[in-house]
Amino acid sequence: MNMDGTNSFGSSVKEPSANGTSLLDGVLRVMYDSIAEVNLQLPEHQRIEKSLTTILLGDGGRLDSLGLVNFIVITEQKLEEFLGVRIDLTENDPFSPNTGHFRTVQSLATYICELAENRVGRPLS
Amino acid sequence: MKVYLIADFNLDTLGNYLANSESSLQISVSSAPFGQVIPALLQAHEAPPADFAVVWTSPETMVPSFAESLNYATIDEDRLLAEVHEFAECLRKAQKHYRAIFVMSWTLPYYRRGNGILNLKGQGARKLLLKMNLKLAEELEDSGSIYLLDAQRWTDAVGKNSYSPKLWYMTKTRFHADVLRRAASDINAAISGVLGDCKKLVIVDLDNTLWGGVVGDLGWQNLKLGGHDYLGEAFIDFQKALKGLRNRGVLLAIASKNEESVALEALAKHPEMVLRPEDFAAWRINWNDKAANIVELAAQLNLGLQSAVFIDDNPVERARVREALPEVQVPDWPDDKTLFASRLLELDCFDSAYATVEDASRSQFYADEKQRGSYRKTVNSAEEWLLSLQTEVSVEELSDVNRIRVIQLLNKTNQMNLTTRRVSEQELEDWLQQHNRKLWAFRVKDKFGDSGLTGVLSVEMQSGIARIVDFVLSCRVIGRRVEDAMVAFAAEYCAAAGLEELHANYLPTAKNKPCLSFWMSSGFSYDEEENRFGWLLSKPYPFPKGVGIRRPQTGGTSQSQQRVSRESEGVVLPVFTNSD
Repeated sequence: MNMDGTNSFGSSVKEPSANGTSLLDGVLRVMYDSIAEVNLQLPEHQRIEKSLTTILLGDGGRLDSLGLVNFIVITEQKLEEFLGVRIDLTENDPFSPNTGHFRTVQSLATYICELAENRVGRPLS
Repeated sequence: MKVYLIADFNLDTLGNYLANSESSLQISVSSAPFGQVIPALLQAHEAPPADFAVVWTSPETMVPSFAESLNYATIDEDRLLAEVHEFAECLRKAQKHYRAIFVMSWTLPYYRRGNGILNLKGQGARKLLLKMNLKLAEELEDSGSIYLLDAQRWTDAVGKNSYSPKLWYMTKTRFHADVLRRAASDINAAISGVLGDCKKLVIVDLDNTLWGGVVGDLGWQNLKLGGHDYLGEAFIDFQKALKGLRNRGVLLAIASKNEESVALEALAKHPEMVLRPEDFAAWRINWNDKAANIVELAAQLNLGLQSAVFIDDNPVERARVREALPEVQVPDWPDDKTLFASRLLELDCFDSAYATVEDASRSQFYADEKQRGSYRKTVNSAEEWLLSLQTEVSVEELSDVNRIRVIQLLNKTNQMNLTTRRVSEQELEDWLQQHNRKLWAFRVKDKFGDSGLTGVLSVEMQSGIARIVDFVLSCRVIGRRVEDAMVAFAAEYCAAAGLEELHANYLPTAKNKPCLSFWMSSGFSYDEEENRFGWLLSKPYPFPKGVGIRRPQTGGTSQSQQRVSRESEGVVLPVFTNSD
């Protein structure tokens, strides 16, 4: 992180808004937008819910491998627009279905917040 | 509708969008084995049957010379273009197995900057790609049912995210889901265009839609239109875009809450007005409910509500029409007037698979029709009016000149359509290979103007009976006895061929009741159980009074009727010559 608030790629990291919206809220909004986009590819009965407990990967999950990768790519793109930094959700081999970060919406959102704060070098919320 | 996907990368996401879209087409999707593009095209007869095929390839895979050039090897450009030709040949070989094939133009990711400022010189990659796409477009120009879709539009719209290396390495999907979603939308529009289901009429508001301000308050001199004003320019461009639609054959109409004289004066007199009163086929400028006005406009223009698009800056008016007339398309409209032209230009509901002379002259036809209507008011009876029109019907056999218009009529006409048979160009060609089948096209003109090629009739002759397979007439000329002339000509031909009966089996649809009404009053006998009309050819079917008929020329110089014997089915098919 540079002294002027930009990251090493020159883009500004966006601070949370003054009205108290947390980083987690923003990340969840991004993830729910991504879910909405992925759902357009799915028949109605297979669409996934915008909920913290929605299972993304593993037993009970409705996304196949292609659907999950599409979700990852869309989410990464939206996170870059939201945070101003690029985050790689697939580093550190996160695909373990029971303990990995992609298990549920909540687990992934928490992981993203950690990654974002590590990238910026300070808490963002 | 069944769509078969053929690609050298994973197209499953496109298939998912097509299969799960909210379009009324209800598409089911199957895919060729991954990376088997050429075998899938050359062995299309072994593929699962499908109505349409989508072919999406990478330029470096289909054109090996291009792959070499991407590594800055010097290539033989003639060889490059020959490889494009070979690919086009494979597409043509597959053509007859599908109603249409949609081929995507070739694109490159934005990050391939090639050799920088030399990329559009010499053998720069971008220059070669332009040549390849142009060559492919030229190769497919005359391949009637193969359409090249512009993939560059989709990648431009998505921007730098259109190519995702992560998607490629993890799933062998070349494009971001956003690109594939836009592609699916355009494929839906393309299929609708091939099926003849495109919009024919745009109904626009006036105040703050065609110009800035309320003409009734400001006067036409003070409207925001043109001039050195960014919004004035935006309205000009919007009007130009509407005029462009008119040139494509889409009718324009007005539904506005205004004093008619005030609004028409503005259209006629404002020096920067692009659209003038004569550009509009009809208008309802009054203080009445717009939904009711739209119903009247559609009826006046003899179009179904499903053919209409309504554009209004006022969201309340848009909501009203959406609720009252769900068949009318009411696109979401931006508040920002600088976006009006671009919003109109990106609408895909006008996409048509055909561009005929009849389309381009549609507005002129309605102007002629206004004259006919005005003239009608000056004569005493409908009979007198019909006799005085001096209608002339010219009969043609299917040819390269009229083929596209014939296919268009067969696939787009709903009201005066006996069987609503929909066929591709190839299917019609194959059907006409049999000697006991004939098809004629009918051109109509009268003293007010030329309505163009507006009718199609085909028959199949077997065991003494001629069965009308296609009986189609454009709504432009319904009720002017062209229908009777078509039937009379067919009866004359079949009688001369030695057949005994002429049959017409009516297949009801939601829209072709006008056809039933015609046949019920045609004088044919009616078998209600079979829904079949019949005429004994021992009795001539009368040609309608007041309609001249010009029979097809067949190249002979004799003015008399000749008979030519054919082997198939023992049917003797007469050869008519121009008797005028």
